[in-house]
Amino acid sequence: MKKKAWKLLVKLLGKTLLAALIFFAATFTLYITNGENKLIYYVVRPFLNRHYDSQTRDRRIV
Amino acid sequence: MKFIDKMIAPVDKALERFDPLWQAQNGKGGLRSRYYDKTGVAKWREWRGVKDTMVDYTAWLNNLLSMGLMVASAPLPVLKGMWEYRWMGSFLGTFLFIDRLFEGYRGPQLKIAHMNMHAIVKSLTERIAFVLANDARLGGGPETENIVPHDETITPLFLKGFKGLHPFPLQTLPEFIICDVDQHIEPYYIDVAESFGLPADVCSRCAAETGVAIDDAFPLVGKVMLSTNMPCNASEATSMFQRRRIGKPDFPVTLAMQHNNPEALPYSRQTILDAIHFVEEHYGVKWDWDEFFKYAKLINEQNTIELEKWDFFKTPYSALTGIAETLYRLYSWQSVNGQDPYFNKVDRKVIKLMRKAYEQRYDPFRGTCRHRAFLWGPSAVYYTDFPTWCANCWGINIVLNMDSTMGFNMIDTEDPEKALDDLTRFTEKACMRHHAVGGWENVNAVWQWAKEFNCDMVLMNDNIACKGMLGVHALMEEQARDLGFHFIFVEHDLEDSRTVSRQDMRNCVNKYMDVVLGEKPLDPTLVEFDDSDAY
Repeated sequence: MKKKAWKLLVKLLGKTLLAALIFFAATFTLYITNGENKLIYYVVRPFLNRHYDSQTRDRRIV
Repeated sequence: MKFIDKMIAPVDKALERFDPLWQAQNGKGGLRSRYYDKTGVAKWREWRGVKDTMVDYTAWLNNLLSMGLMVASAPLPVLKGMWEYRWMGSFLGTFLFIDRLFEGYRGPQLKIAHMNMHAIVKSLTERIAFVLANDARLGGGPETENIVPHDETITPLFLKGFKGLHPFPLQTLPEFIICDVDQHIEPYYIDVAESFGLPADVCSRCAAETGVAIDDAFPLVGKVMLSTNMPCNASEATSMFQRRRIGKPDFPVTLAMQHNNPEALPYSRQTILDAIHFVEEHYGVKWDWDEFFKYAKLINEQNTIELEKWDFFKTPYSALTGIAETLYRLYSWQSVNGQDPYFNKVDRKVIKLMRKAYEQRYDPFRGTCRHRAFLWGPSAVYYTDFPTWCANCWGINIVLNMDSTMGFNMIDTEDPEKALDDLTRFTEKACMRHHAVGGWENVNAVWQWAKEFNCDMVLMNDNIACKGMLGVHALMEEQARDLGFHFIFVEHDLEDSRTVSRQDMRNCVNKYMDVVLGEKPLDPTLVEFDDSDAY
Protein backbone atom coordinates (compact mmCIF):
# COMPACT_ATOMS: atom_id res chain seq x y z
CA MET A 1 0.00 0.00 0.00
CA LYS A 2 2.83 2.30 1.03
CA LYS A 3 4.78 1.39 -2.10
CA LYS A 4 1.77 2.23 -4.26
CA ALA A 5 1.32 5.61 -2.63
CA TRP A 6 5.02 6.30 -2.99
CA LYS A 7 4.89 5.39 -6.70
CA LEU A 8 1.89 7.64 -7.19
CA LEU A 9 3.67 10.48 -5.45
CA VAL A 10 6.79 10.04 -7.61
CA LYS A 11 4.63 9.89 -10.72
CA LEU A 12 2.75 13.04 -9.71
CA LEU A 13 5.99 14.85 -8.90
CA GLY A 14 7.46 13.75 -12.23
CA LYS A 15 4.45 15.03 -14.12
CA THR A 16 4.48 18.33 -12.25
CA LEU A 17 8.17 18.74 -12.98
CA LEU A 18 7.64 17.90 -16.64
CA ALA A 19 4.77 20.39 -16.87
CA ALA A 20 6.92 23.06 -15.19
CA LEU A 21 9.76 22.31 -17.58
CA ILE A 22 7.50 22.54 -20.64
CA PHE A 23 5.99 25.76 -19.27
CA PHE A 24 9.46 27.21 -18.67
CA ALA A 25 10.75 26.14 -22.10
CA ALA A 26 7.75 27.62 -23.90
CA THR A 27 7.58 30.91 -22.00
CA PHE A 28 11.34 31.42 -21.91
CA THR A 29 11.56 30.86 -25.68
CA LEU A 30 8.79 33.41 -26.20
CA TYR A 31 10.57 35.79 -23.82
CA ILE A 32 14.12 35.54 -25.19
CA THR A 33 13.05 35.69 -28.85
CA ASN A 34 10.94 38.76 -28.04
CA GLY A 35 8.10 36.81 -29.66
CA GLU A 36 5.12 38.58 -28.12
CA ASN A 37 6.47 42.02 -29.04
CA LYS A 38 7.09 41.00 -32.65
CA LEU A 39 3.55 39.60 -32.85
CA ILE A 40 2.07 42.77 -31.36
CA TYR A 41 4.16 45.15 -33.48
CA TYR A 42 3.88 43.42 -36.84
CA VAL A 43 0.45 41.75 -36.64
CA VAL A 44 -1.86 42.86 -33.82
CA ARG A 45 -1.32 46.64 -33.85
CA PRO A 46 -1.53 47.03 -37.65
CA PHE A 47 -4.80 45.08 -37.54
CA LEU A 48 -6.16 47.21 -34.69
CA ASN A 49 -4.99 50.44 -36.33
CA ARG A 50 -6.86 49.53 -39.52
CA HIS A 51 -9.96 49.04 -37.41
CA TYR A 52 -9.49 52.34 -35.51
CA ASP A 53 -8.93 54.21 -38.78
CA SER A 54 -12.18 52.84 -40.19
CA GLN A 55 -14.27 53.97 -37.18
CA THR A 56 -16.77 56.76 -37.64
CA ARG A 57 -16.53 59.07 -34.64
CA ASP A 58 -19.18 61.61 -33.69
CA ARG A 59 -16.85 64.56 -33.33
CA ARG A 60 -18.36 67.71 -31.84
CA ILE A 61 -17.23 70.21 -29.23
CA VAL A 62 -20.66 70.40 -27.60
CA MET B 1 23.95 31.52 -3.10
CA LYS B 2 27.72 31.36 -3.52
CA PHE B 3 27.35 27.77 -4.77
CA ILE B 4 24.85 28.91 -7.43
CA ASP B 5 27.14 31.77 -8.42
CA LYS B 6 29.99 29.28 -8.90
CA MET B 7 27.73 27.03 -10.96
CA ILE B 8 26.61 29.77 -13.34
CA ALA B 9 29.96 31.55 -13.65
CA PRO B 10 31.17 29.35 -16.56
CA VAL B 11 27.83 29.82 -18.36
CA ASP B 12 28.06 33.58 -17.93
CA LYS B 13 31.61 33.54 -19.24
CA ALA B 14 30.63 31.45 -22.28
CA LEU B 15 27.68 33.72 -23.12
CA GLU B 16 29.19 37.10 -22.26
CA ARG B 17 29.63 38.00 -25.92
CA PHE B 18 25.82 38.28 -26.14
CA ASP B 19 25.73 40.84 -23.31
CA PRO B 20 25.39 44.31 -24.92
CA LEU B 21 27.30 45.97 -22.07
CA TRP B 22 30.24 43.62 -22.71
CA GLN B 23 29.89 44.27 -26.46
CA ALA B 24 30.09 48.05 -25.93
CA GLN B 25 33.10 47.74 -23.61
CA ASN B 26 34.91 45.54 -26.12
CA GLY B 27 34.05 47.44 -29.28
CA LYS B 28 31.86 44.64 -30.62
CA GLY B 29 28.47 46.31 -30.71
CA GLY B 30 26.26 47.63 -27.95
CA LEU B 31 22.75 48.11 -26.68
CA ARG B 32 21.38 49.17 -30.05
CA SER B 33 22.90 46.31 -32.07
CA ARG B 34 20.03 43.88 -31.54
CA TYR B 35 17.26 46.14 -32.91
CA TYR B 36 15.47 46.12 -36.23
CA ASP B 37 15.95 49.53 -37.83
CA LYS B 38 13.47 52.29 -36.87
CA THR B 39 11.00 49.98 -35.11
CA GLY B 40 12.28 49.78 -31.57
CA VAL B 41 11.63 46.03 -31.80
CA ALA B 42 14.60 43.93 -30.71
CA LYS B 43 15.52 40.70 -32.49
CA TRP B 44 15.99 39.09 -29.09
CA ARG B 45 15.84 40.24 -25.51
CA GLU B 46 18.84 41.59 -23.71
CA TRP B 47 21.20 38.93 -22.34
CA ARG B 48 22.21 40.11 -18.89
CA GLY B 49 23.94 36.99 -17.56
CA VAL B 50 22.01 34.02 -16.15
CA LYS B 51 20.91 35.58 -12.86
CA ASP B 52 19.75 38.96 -14.16
CA THR B 53 18.13 37.46 -17.25
CA MET B 54 16.10 35.24 -14.91
CA VAL B 55 15.15 38.30 -12.82
CA ASP B 56 13.96 40.03 -15.99
CA TYR B 57 12.14 36.91 -17.22
CA THR B 58 10.35 36.47 -13.89
CA ALA B 59 9.29 40.13 -13.93
CA TRP B 60 8.01 39.68 -17.48
CA LEU B 61 5.97 36.64 -16.39
CA ASN B 62 4.61 38.57 -13.44
CA ASN B 63 3.49 41.45 -15.66
CA LEU B 64 1.99 38.98 -18.12
CA LEU B 65 0.02 37.47 -15.25
CA SER B 66 -1.34 40.91 -14.29
CA MET B 67 -2.51 41.45 -17.85
CA GLY B 68 -4.08 37.99 -17.90
CA LEU B 69 -5.90 38.76 -14.65
CA MET B 70 -7.15 42.03 -16.12
CA VAL B 71 -8.75 40.21 -19.06
CA ALA B 72 -10.06 37.42 -16.84
CA SER B 73 -11.67 39.84 -14.38
CA ALA B 74 -13.69 41.65 -17.07
CA PRO B 75 -13.32 39.80 -20.38
CA LEU B 76 -16.15 41.41 -22.31
CA PRO B 77 -15.57 45.03 -21.21
CA VAL B 78 -11.83 44.70 -21.92
CA LEU B 79 -12.54 43.36 -25.41
CA LYS B 80 -15.14 46.05 -26.03
CA GLY B 81 -12.72 48.69 -24.75
CA MET B 82 -9.96 47.41 -27.03
CA TRP B 83 -12.35 47.67 -29.97
CA GLU B 84 -13.71 51.09 -29.02
CA TYR B 85 -10.69 53.06 -27.81
CA ARG B 86 -7.55 53.64 -29.87
CA TRP B 87 -5.52 54.25 -26.70
CA MET B 88 -6.30 50.72 -25.48
CA GLY B 89 -4.32 49.35 -28.44
CA SER B 90 -1.34 51.40 -27.28
CA PHE B 91 -1.24 49.55 -23.95
CA LEU B 92 -0.11 46.50 -25.92
CA GLY B 93 3.23 48.29 -26.22
CA THR B 94 3.82 47.95 -22.47
CA PHE B 95 6.34 45.10 -22.76
CA LEU B 96 8.42 47.01 -25.32
CA PHE B 97 8.25 50.04 -23.06
CA ILE B 98 9.51 48.15 -20.01
CA ASP B 99 12.34 46.53 -22.00
CA ARG B 100 13.49 49.96 -23.20
CA LEU B 101 13.32 51.50 -19.72
CA PHE B 102 15.60 49.00 -18.05
CA GLU B 103 18.22 48.40 -20.74
CA GLY B 104 21.63 47.91 -19.18
CA TYR B 105 20.20 47.45 -15.67
CA ARG B 106 21.86 44.77 -13.59
CA GLY B 107 21.78 43.30 -10.05
CA PRO B 108 19.79 45.05 -7.28
CA GLN B 109 19.22 47.99 -9.64
CA LEU B 110 17.26 45.70 -12.00
CA LYS B 111 15.43 43.92 -9.20
CA ILE B 112 14.22 47.16 -7.61
CA ALA B 113 13.31 48.67 -10.99
CA HIS B 114 11.06 45.70 -11.74
CA MET B 115 9.45 45.79 -8.29
CA ASN B 116 8.49 49.41 -8.90
CA MET B 117 7.38 48.79 -12.46
CA HIS B 118 5.25 45.80 -11.54
CA ALA B 119 3.40 47.92 -9.00
CA ILE B 120 2.51 50.31 -11.83
CA VAL B 121 1.47 47.49 -14.19
CA LYS B 122 -0.62 45.81 -11.48
CA SER B 123 -2.35 49.05 -10.56
CA LEU B 124 -2.98 50.09 -14.15
CA THR B 125 -4.37 46.72 -15.24
CA GLU B 126 -6.74 46.71 -12.26
CA ARG B 127 -7.84 50.24 -13.09
CA ILE B 128 -8.39 49.46 -16.77
CA ALA B 129 -10.56 46.45 -15.93
CA PHE B 130 -12.49 48.47 -13.33
CA VAL B 131 -13.19 51.50 -15.49
CA LEU B 132 -14.10 49.54 -18.61
CA ALA B 133 -16.45 47.31 -16.60
CA ASN B 134 -18.22 50.49 -15.46
CA ASP B 135 -17.94 52.62 -18.58
CA ALA B 136 -21.41 53.85 -19.58
CA ARG B 137 -20.23 54.02 -23.19
CA LEU B 138 -19.74 50.24 -23.09
CA GLY B 139 -22.93 49.46 -21.20
CA GLY B 140 -22.00 50.52 -17.65
CA GLY B 141 -21.69 48.48 -14.48
CA PRO B 142 -22.59 48.40 -10.78
CA GLU B 143 -20.09 51.12 -9.82
CA THR B 144 -20.66 53.56 -12.70
CA GLU B 145 -22.49 56.05 -10.50
CA ASN B 146 -20.05 55.68 -7.60
CA ILE B 147 -17.00 56.82 -9.51
CA VAL B 148 -15.77 60.41 -9.09
CA PRO B 149 -13.88 61.38 -12.24
CA HIS B 150 -11.30 64.09 -11.66
CA ASP B 151 -8.51 65.80 -13.56
CA GLU B 152 -5.27 63.84 -13.52
CA THR B 153 -3.39 66.66 -11.77
CA ILE B 154 -5.78 66.79 -8.81
CA THR B 155 -4.37 64.57 -6.09
CA PRO B 156 -7.16 62.10 -5.28
CA LEU B 157 -6.27 61.68 -1.58
CA PHE B 158 -8.94 64.07 -0.28
CA LEU B 159 -11.61 62.14 -2.19
CA LYS B 160 -10.80 59.04 -0.12
CA GLY B 161 -12.80 60.64 2.69
CA PHE B 162 -15.89 59.36 0.87
CA LYS B 163 -16.49 55.73 1.78
CA GLY B 164 -17.86 53.75 -1.15
CA LEU B 165 -16.86 56.26 -3.82
CA HIS B 166 -13.99 55.68 -6.23
CA PRO B 167 -11.87 58.65 -7.35
CA PHE B 168 -10.74 58.17 -10.92
CA PRO B 169 -8.19 60.36 -12.76
CA LEU B 170 -10.00 60.64 -16.08
CA GLN B 171 -7.09 61.51 -18.38
CA THR B 172 -4.62 58.99 -16.98
CA LEU B 173 -5.52 56.07 -19.23
CA PRO B 174 -6.12 57.80 -22.60
CA GLU B 175 -3.40 60.42 -22.25
CA PHE B 176 -1.29 60.88 -19.11
CA ILE B 177 0.33 57.45 -18.85
CA ILE B 178 -0.17 56.06 -22.34
CA CYS B 179 1.77 58.92 -23.96
CA ASP B 180 4.81 57.53 -22.13
CA VAL B 181 4.28 54.05 -23.58
CA ASP B 182 3.51 55.02 -27.19
CA GLN B 183 4.80 58.20 -28.83
CA HIS B 184 2.39 57.80 -31.76
CA ILE B 185 -0.90 57.82 -29.86
CA GLU B 186 -1.25 61.47 -28.78
CA PRO B 187 -0.45 63.03 -32.21
CA TYR B 188 -3.70 61.41 -33.40
CA TYR B 189 -5.72 63.15 -30.68
CA ILE B 190 -3.76 66.40 -31.18
CA ASP B 191 -4.79 66.33 -34.86
CA VAL B 192 -8.43 65.83 -33.86
CA ALA B 193 -8.25 68.95 -31.65
CA GLU B 194 -6.42 70.98 -34.28
CA SER B 195 -8.98 70.03 -36.94
CA PHE B 196 -11.39 72.16 -34.89
CA GLY B 197 -9.10 75.15 -35.18
CA LEU B 198 -7.05 74.75 -32.00
CA PRO B 199 -3.70 76.45 -32.74
CA ALA B 200 -0.77 74.10 -33.25
CA ASP B 201 1.51 75.96 -30.85
CA VAL B 202 -0.36 75.26 -27.60
CA CYS B 203 0.80 72.74 -24.98
CA SER B 204 0.48 69.34 -26.65
CA ARG B 205 -0.73 67.73 -23.42
CA CYS B 206 -3.74 70.02 -23.33
CA ALA B 207 -4.29 69.65 -27.07
CA ALA B 208 -4.22 65.86 -26.73
CA GLU B 209 -6.73 65.89 -23.84
CA THR B 210 -9.02 68.12 -25.86
CA GLY B 211 -8.74 65.72 -28.81
CA VAL B 212 -9.58 62.76 -26.58
CA ALA B 213 -12.75 64.57 -25.42
CA ILE B 214 -13.84 65.50 -28.97
CA ASP B 215 -13.11 61.95 -30.19
CA ASP B 216 -15.36 60.53 -27.43
CA ALA B 217 -12.43 58.53 -26.12
CA PHE B 218 -12.87 59.23 -22.40
CA PRO B 219 -14.65 56.45 -20.54
CA LEU B 220 -18.01 57.77 -19.32
CA VAL B 221 -18.18 57.31 -15.57
CA GLY B 222 -19.58 59.10 -12.51
CA LYS B 223 -22.12 61.84 -11.96
CA VAL B 224 -19.85 64.90 -12.05
CA MET B 225 -16.38 65.99 -13.04
CA LEU B 226 -13.76 67.72 -10.91
CA SER B 227 -11.63 69.86 -13.19
CA THR B 228 -8.75 72.11 -12.20
CA ASN B 229 -6.42 74.97 -13.06
CA MET B 230 -3.43 72.75 -12.26
CA PRO B 231 -0.69 72.64 -13.32
CA CYS B 232 -1.15 75.89 -15.26
CA ASN B 233 -3.61 78.07 -17.16
CA ALA B 234 -3.48 75.85 -20.28
CA SER B 235 -5.15 73.22 -18.15
CA GLU B 236 -8.07 75.58 -17.55
CA ALA B 237 -8.63 75.83 -21.29
CA THR B 238 -8.68 72.08 -21.83
CA SER B 239 -11.01 71.69 -18.85
CA MET B 240 -13.50 73.95 -20.61
CA PHE B 241 -13.45 71.85 -23.78
CA GLN B 242 -13.82 68.64 -21.80
CA ARG B 243 -16.70 70.06 -19.78
CA ARG B 244 -18.58 71.04 -22.93
CA ARG B 245 -18.12 67.67 -24.60
CA ILE B 246 -18.66 65.40 -21.62
CA GLY B 247 -21.56 67.49 -20.38
CA LYS B 248 -21.57 66.56 -16.70
CA PRO B 249 -21.84 69.01 -13.78
CA ASP B 250 -18.34 70.29 -13.20
CA PHE B 251 -16.52 71.74 -10.21
CA PRO B 252 -13.26 73.56 -11.01
CA VAL B 253 -10.81 72.90 -8.17
CA THR B 254 -8.89 76.14 -8.75
CA LEU B 255 -5.98 76.25 -6.35
CA ALA B 256 -3.86 79.37 -5.79
CA MET B 257 -1.19 79.86 -8.42
CA GLN B 258 1.12 81.58 -5.88
CA HIS B 259 1.10 78.48 -3.74
CA ASN B 260 4.22 79.30 -1.72
CA ASN B 261 2.53 82.37 -0.33
CA PRO B 262 1.00 81.58 3.13
CA GLU B 263 -1.72 84.16 2.47
CA ALA B 264 -2.99 82.02 -0.41
CA LEU B 265 -3.52 78.98 1.82
CA PRO B 266 -7.03 79.89 3.09
CA TYR B 267 -8.20 80.35 -0.50
CA SER B 268 -6.96 76.93 -1.65
CA ARG B 269 -8.20 75.33 1.55
CA GLN B 270 -11.70 76.71 0.97
CA THR B 271 -11.64 75.43 -2.62
CA ILE B 272 -10.96 71.90 -1.38
CA LEU B 273 -13.79 72.22 1.16
CA ASP B 274 -16.13 73.47 -1.58
CA ALA B 275 -15.15 70.53 -3.78
CA ILE B 276 -15.96 68.16 -0.91
CA HIS B 277 -19.39 69.78 -0.47
CA PHE B 278 -20.00 69.56 -4.22
CA VAL B 279 -19.34 65.79 -4.19
CA GLU B 280 -21.48 65.35 -1.05
CA GLU B 281 -24.34 67.15 -2.74
CA HIS B 282 -24.24 65.17 -5.99
CA TYR B 283 -23.48 61.70 -4.62
CA GLY B 284 -25.37 61.89 -1.31
CA VAL B 285 -22.37 60.53 0.63
CA LYS B 286 -20.93 62.31 3.69
CA TRP B 287 -17.22 62.98 3.88
CA ASP B 288 -15.64 61.16 6.83
CA TRP B 289 -12.44 62.23 8.64
CA ASP B 290 -11.62 58.75 9.95
CA GLU B 291 -11.86 57.32 6.47
CA PHE B 292 -9.60 60.09 5.18
CA PHE B 293 -7.02 59.60 7.96
CA LYS B 294 -6.77 55.91 7.03
CA TYR B 295 -5.41 56.83 3.59
CA ALA B 296 -3.44 59.87 4.80
CA LYS B 297 -1.45 57.43 6.96
CA LEU B 298 -0.59 55.41 3.87
CA ILE B 299 0.75 58.41 1.95
CA ASN B 300 2.60 59.60 5.07
CA GLU B 301 4.36 56.25 5.24
CA GLN B 302 5.22 56.47 1.53
CA ASN B 303 6.59 59.97 1.95
CA THR B 304 8.64 58.94 5.01
CA ILE B 305 10.23 56.17 2.97
CA GLU B 306 10.71 58.57 0.05
CA LEU B 307 12.68 60.96 2.24
CA GLU B 308 14.92 58.11 3.33
CA LYS B 309 15.42 57.18 -0.33
CA TRP B 310 16.60 60.74 -0.96
CA ASP B 311 19.45 60.21 1.52
CA PHE B 312 20.65 57.29 -0.60
CA PHE B 313 20.21 59.27 -3.83
CA LYS B 314 22.74 61.77 -2.49
CA THR B 315 25.40 59.03 -2.52
CA PRO B 316 26.91 56.99 -5.38
CA TYR B 317 25.39 53.83 -3.84
CA SER B 318 21.68 54.10 -4.55
CA ALA B 319 20.29 50.92 -6.08
CA LEU B 320 17.18 52.82 -7.18
CA THR B 321 18.14 54.83 -10.21
CA GLY B 322 16.95 56.87 -13.18
CA ILE B 323 13.63 56.08 -14.75
CA ALA B 324 12.81 53.38 -12.19
CA GLU B 325 12.73 56.17 -9.63
CA THR B 326 11.13 58.98 -11.63
CA LEU B 327 8.30 57.04 -13.26
CA TYR B 328 7.41 55.19 -10.07
CA ARG B 329 7.30 58.33 -7.97
CA LEU B 330 5.25 60.12 -10.62
CA TYR B 331 2.65 57.35 -10.75
CA SER B 332 2.63 56.35 -7.10
CA TRP B 333 2.34 59.93 -5.86
CA GLN B 334 0.17 61.65 -8.44
CA SER B 335 -2.11 58.85 -9.47
CA VAL B 336 -2.19 56.37 -6.58
CA ASN B 337 -1.69 58.96 -3.86
CA GLY B 338 -2.18 56.75 -0.82
CA GLN B 339 -5.08 54.77 -2.24
CA ASP B 340 -3.37 51.42 -2.69
CA PRO B 341 -1.54 49.65 0.19
CA TYR B 342 0.32 47.50 -2.36
CA PHE B 343 2.54 50.52 -3.08
CA ASN B 344 3.40 50.77 0.64
CA LYS B 345 4.36 47.10 0.57
CA VAL B 346 6.63 47.68 -2.43
CA ASP B 347 8.20 50.75 -0.80
CA ARG B 348 8.99 48.79 2.37
CA LYS B 349 10.69 46.05 0.35
CA VAL B 350 12.58 48.52 -1.85
CA ILE B 351 13.95 50.55 1.05
CA LYS B 352 15.25 47.36 2.68
CA LEU B 353 17.10 46.45 -0.52
CA MET B 354 18.42 50.01 -0.81
CA ARG B 355 19.76 49.92 2.77
CA LYS B 356 21.49 46.61 2.10
CA ALA B 357 22.96 47.83 -1.20
CA TYR B 358 24.27 50.95 0.52
CA GLU B 359 25.91 48.92 3.29
CA GLN B 360 27.67 46.88 0.62
CA ARG B 361 28.72 50.08 -1.23
CA TYR B 362 26.97 48.78 -4.35
CA ASP B 363 27.65 50.89 -7.46
CA PRO B 364 24.76 50.41 -9.92
CA PHE B 365 26.77 51.93 -12.77
CA ARG B 366 29.81 49.70 -12.32
CA GLY B 367 32.19 52.65 -12.41
CA THR B 368 30.75 54.23 -15.56
CA CYS B 369 29.02 57.20 -13.92
CA ARG B 370 30.69 60.46 -15.04
CA HIS B 371 28.04 63.01 -14.12
CA ARG B 372 25.21 63.28 -11.63
CA ALA B 373 22.27 65.22 -13.03
CA PHE B 374 19.06 66.72 -11.72
CA LEU B 375 16.37 66.39 -14.37
CA TRP B 376 13.64 68.93 -14.96
CA GLY B 377 11.53 66.87 -17.32
CA PRO B 378 7.93 65.81 -18.05
CA SER B 379 6.42 63.05 -20.29
CA ALA B 380 8.88 63.44 -23.15
CA VAL B 381 11.55 61.86 -20.94
CA TYR B 382 9.53 58.67 -20.64
CA TYR B 383 8.72 57.76 -24.24
CA THR B 384 12.35 58.50 -25.02
CA ASP B 385 13.49 56.38 -22.01
CA PHE B 386 15.74 59.39 -21.55
CA PRO B 387 17.39 58.72 -18.14
CA THR B 388 18.26 55.16 -19.25
CA TRP B 389 19.74 56.41 -22.50
CA CYS B 390 21.72 59.16 -20.71
CA ALA B 391 23.28 56.60 -18.36
CA ASN B 392 24.05 54.01 -21.04
CA CYS B 393 25.33 56.40 -23.69
CA TRP B 394 27.14 59.12 -21.74
CA GLY B 395 27.41 57.95 -18.14
CA ILE B 396 24.98 60.60 -16.87
CA ASN B 397 23.17 59.40 -13.77
CA ILE B 398 19.78 61.10 -13.48
CA VAL B 399 19.58 61.29 -9.72
CA LEU B 400 16.16 62.86 -9.36
CA ASN B 401 13.44 64.35 -11.55
CA MET B 402 11.45 67.49 -10.70
CA ASP B 403 8.24 65.51 -10.35
CA SER B 404 9.83 63.31 -7.69
CA THR B 405 9.75 66.30 -5.37
CA MET B 406 5.95 66.64 -5.42
CA GLY B 407 4.14 67.11 -2.08
CA PHE B 408 6.33 65.41 0.51
CA ASN B 409 4.92 67.14 3.58
CA MET B 410 3.27 64.94 6.21
CA ILE B 411 -0.46 65.20 6.84
CA ASP B 412 -1.74 65.36 10.40
CA THR B 413 -3.92 62.32 11.07
CA GLU B 414 -5.59 63.44 14.30
CA ASP B 415 -6.57 67.10 14.17
CA PRO B 416 -8.95 67.93 11.25
CA GLU B 417 -7.95 71.62 11.24
CA LYS B 418 -4.25 70.90 10.96
CA ALA B 419 -4.93 68.07 8.52
CA LEU B 420 -6.80 70.40 6.20
CA ASP B 421 -3.89 72.85 6.10
CA ASP B 422 -1.44 70.01 5.46
CA LEU B 423 -3.69 68.52 2.79
CA THR B 424 -3.93 71.87 1.02
CA ARG B 425 -0.14 72.34 0.92
CA PHE B 426 0.21 68.74 -0.24
CA THR B 427 -2.41 69.10 -3.00
CA GLU B 428 -0.88 72.33 -4.30
CA LYS B 429 2.52 70.70 -4.88
CA ALA B 430 1.23 68.49 -7.66
CA CYS B 431 2.70 67.11 -10.84
CA MET B 432 4.30 69.66 -13.24
CA ARG B 433 3.34 72.37 -10.78
CA HIS B 434 5.81 72.28 -7.93
CA HIS B 435 8.70 73.46 -10.11
CA ALA B 436 6.93 75.19 -12.97
CA VAL B 437 4.16 77.33 -11.51
CA GLY B 438 3.85 79.75 -8.63
CA GLY B 439 6.64 82.20 -9.17
CA TRP B 440 10.28 82.44 -10.09
CA GLU B 441 11.51 80.89 -6.85
CA ASN B 442 9.88 77.55 -7.72
CA VAL B 443 11.63 77.38 -11.09
CA ASN B 444 14.88 78.66 -9.70
CA ALA B 445 14.82 76.05 -6.91
CA VAL B 446 16.26 73.58 -9.40
CA TRP B 447 19.81 74.71 -8.49
CA GLN B 448 19.26 74.14 -4.80
CA TRP B 449 17.88 70.67 -5.46
CA ALA B 450 20.82 69.87 -7.75
CA LYS B 451 23.27 71.04 -5.09
CA GLU B 452 21.60 69.07 -2.30
CA PHE B 453 21.76 65.89 -4.35
CA ASN B 454 25.43 66.41 -5.23
CA CYS B 455 24.75 66.95 -8.93
CA ASP B 456 27.21 68.66 -11.26
CA MET B 457 24.71 68.81 -14.11
CA VAL B 458 21.13 69.99 -14.73
CA LEU B 459 19.10 68.72 -17.67
CA MET B 460 16.17 70.98 -18.34
CA ASN B 461 13.45 69.96 -20.73
CA ASP B 462 12.50 72.83 -22.94
CA ASN B 463 8.87 72.35 -23.97
CA ILE B 464 8.75 74.49 -27.10
CA ALA B 465 5.00 75.07 -26.69
CA CYS B 466 5.11 76.05 -23.01
CA LYS B 467 4.76 79.81 -23.07
CA GLY B 468 5.46 80.15 -19.36
CA MET B 469 8.76 78.30 -19.34
CA LEU B 470 9.97 79.78 -22.63
CA GLY B 471 10.04 83.10 -20.81
CA VAL B 472 12.73 81.94 -18.39
CA HIS B 473 15.02 80.31 -20.96
CA ALA B 474 17.79 82.90 -20.98
CA LEU B 475 17.55 83.46 -17.23
CA MET B 476 18.20 79.78 -16.55
CA GLU B 477 21.22 79.73 -18.83
CA GLU B 478 22.62 82.76 -17.05
CA GLN B 479 22.05 81.14 -13.66
CA ALA B 480 23.80 77.94 -14.77
CA ARG B 481 26.85 79.91 -15.86
CA ASP B 482 26.95 81.88 -12.61
CA LEU B 483 26.55 78.80 -10.42
CA GLY B 484 28.94 76.60 -12.40
CA PHE B 485 26.58 73.77 -13.41
CA HIS B 486 26.80 71.84 -16.64
CA PHE B 487 23.45 72.76 -18.13
CA ILE B 488 21.64 71.27 -21.11
CA PHE B 489 18.34 72.45 -22.52
CA VAL B 490 16.62 69.45 -24.10
CA GLU B 491 14.09 70.67 -26.63
CA HIS B 492 10.88 68.70 -27.05
CA ASP B 493 7.20 69.15 -27.88
CA LEU B 494 5.96 67.12 -24.91
CA GLU B 495 3.50 64.63 -26.43
CA ASP B 496 4.02 65.45 -30.08
CA SER B 497 7.16 63.64 -31.22
CA ARG B 498 6.64 64.83 -34.81
CA THR B 499 7.83 68.35 -33.99
CA VAL B 500 10.96 67.34 -32.10
CA SER B 501 11.93 63.72 -32.65
CA ARG B 502 13.52 61.48 -30.08
CA GLN B 503 16.84 61.71 -31.94
CA ASP B 504 16.58 65.52 -31.93
CA MET B 505 16.22 65.35 -28.15
CA ARG B 506 19.18 63.01 -27.81
CA ASN B 507 21.22 65.28 -30.07
CA CYS B 508 20.90 68.11 -27.54
CA VAL B 509 22.86 65.95 -25.08
CA ASN B 510 25.16 64.48 -27.76
CA LYS B 511 26.30 67.94 -28.86
CA TYR B 512 26.97 69.15 -25.33
CA MET B 513 28.89 66.03 -24.33
CA ASP B 514 30.90 65.98 -27.52
CA VAL B 515 31.48 69.67 -28.31
CA VAL B 516 31.47 71.30 -24.87
CA LEU B 517 32.86 68.53 -22.67
CA GLY B 518 34.81 66.61 -25.31
CA GLU B 519 33.73 63.25 -23.88
CA LYS B 520 33.48 59.93 -25.71
CA PRO B 521 30.28 57.83 -25.54
CA LEU B 522 30.26 54.69 -23.41
CA ASP B 523 28.24 52.91 -26.09
CA PRO B 524 28.71 54.33 -29.62
CA THR B 525 25.66 52.41 -30.95
CA LEU B 526 23.47 54.72 -28.87
CA VAL B 527 24.71 58.06 -30.18
CA GLU B 528 22.67 58.19 -33.35
CA PHE B 529 19.94 55.76 -34.36
CA ASP B 530 16.54 55.97 -35.98
CA ASP B 531 13.67 54.92 -33.72
CA SER B 532 11.03 57.06 -35.37
CA ASP B 533 8.65 54.11 -35.89
CA ALA B 534 9.08 52.78 -32.37
CA TYR B 535 6.20 53.06 -29.91
